[in-house]
Amino acid sequence: MNDMTKDTTTDMTRDGGDVEALTRALARVEPGSRGADPSGAGARTLLASIVAAPAAEDPLAGVSTSGSTVTPLRRRGLGRLAAGLAVAAALAGGIVVGPSLLGKGGATPSYAVTKDDHGVVTIQVRDFSDADGLRRRLEELGVPAIVDYVPLGKRCERPRTGYVEDVPRGLYSLPESIPGETMSWQMRIDTRLFRPGETFVWTIGEGGTSTILMKNPVRPCEFVPDRPPLEEVDGEGFRLATTEGGSLAGYRVDGKTVGEVVPEIRKRGLKVTFMVMSGPDGLGERYLQGRTSPISTVGDDWVVWDALDARKGEVFLCVSKQRYDRNPLFGGPRDAVIKD
Amino acid sequence: MARFEAVYKETYGRITAYAARRCDSPQDAADAVADTFTVAWRRVDELPEGEQAMLWLYGVARKVLANRRRTGRYRQERNAELDAEVADLYGRRPDSGVELDAIARAFRDLPGDDRELLSLVAWEGLDREEIATVLGLTRNAVRVRLHRARKRFARALAEADVSHSTTRRLVPAERSR
Repeated sequence: MNDMTKDTTTDMTRDGGDVEALTRALARVEPGSRGADPSGAGARTLLASIVAAPAAEDPLAGVSTSGSTVTPLRRRGLGRLAAGLAVAAALAGGIVVGPSLLGKGGATPSYAVTKDDHGVVTIQVRDFSDADGLRRRLEELGVPAIVDYVPLGKRCERPRTGYVEDVPRGLYSLPESIPGETMSWQMRIDTRLFRPGETFVWTIGEGGTSTILMKNPVRPCEFVPDRPPLEEVDGEGFRLATTEGGSLAGYRVDGKTVGEVVPEIRKRGLKVTFMVMSGPDGLGERYLQGRTSPISTVGDDWVVWDALDARKGEVFLCVSKQRYDRNPLFGGPRDAVIKD
Repeated sequence: MARFEAVYKETYGRITAYAARRCDSPQDAADAVADTFTVAWRRVDELPEGEQAMLWLYGVARKVLANRRRTGRYRQERNAELDAEVADLYGRRPDSGVELDAIARAFRDLPGDDRELLSLVAWEGLDREEIATVLGLTRNAVRVRLHRARKRFARALAEADVSHSTTRRLVPAERSR
């Protein structure tokens, strides 16, 4: 046993065996164990009920069970994009919490802000009507913060100032639920890590809350209409714009170049937002790079893989700088997946 | 019918383990087991022969779980004995402690595809070829994605300050390969 000796490894990389061993340690049912007994009463009852009920609803109705046919590929492809988008918001130097974490408040105090001996402030928020009170309380405890209440359908005019790109590690925790409560959240901020000239900028309201570290001076929030929410199709991600009913129905874009496609889309009065696909197969670090990009960074010779209806009057164009052997959205030719 | 019953008996244990490892509650796991075999019965014509049947069922179970998470659909009727038998699998909690919590958190925060790949290797003990069958991918795609998943997990562990010595404490030497 050498647990007493200090681990002298300085290289932070782990090998596959190490990662696997730690994963194994998390298994609720020990790897290699056989699980529940098929001769148990529950197992036998289940078997009997399954084979005796031919009319039972198929729990996977509409979902193919083979990995290479239409539905799963399509779902996988589009789901990916949805995941990439969700992360894009989080990467912009701050945190955005969806409305599901927010409540209208009740008898409980609207917020609680406490500071421990080590300078770590814990904020619990249950209601967002008192933005000023929350800001004052944060200020008292040494958190340079601006808090604005933003009504549904509005947002603050951007930019208010520059984002801090190199947020100190450990400055704040991700917002998390308060145990036993549903309509509230809490987060911790380590006030010792604040640097001069930087301010925590919060916007709170029924539409969501965001917490972004910005550089001083921060302009006051001027309400402008928020963009309509993205048109995701019930958990499936976005609809292809090039299929029937889509905003580009009848116009194929896959395999063409940005220079060919964008004028055609503009002709239809649609706004274009690029989603850049990268990595060796176009799917690489998608969780980090599936973000929208300004038009200036995308060249006319880039390859278009398909278009998605993002919101009314706007399409997301999935593009990559290099041409891949396989359409990364579909894992092969579009025609093998989408039957028009 | 006889063939389905044989496959059911052969794979039931591993499917219950698969579901229990991925569901927070025994009821969810029991539902997933029931749904998985219901699908298998409905599509018994697609059910492959031999060891491939197990892999096919893992693939179905994976989709059943994803589908349930997406739709929030739950079975109404309860099979009390099944619930109880699956709940027994929850009796043994893995070693706990602050560090394991940190590891579990880092694991939970990984993208779902990463988690599933790492789990199929470490929990179900599948090799790359088998995983390729379960996920409907090429073996090379599995290799690449698994490599990335391991890298991301290792990075998350490093960020969570999980030290290398933790592995030795949590995993007895004879169990690591």
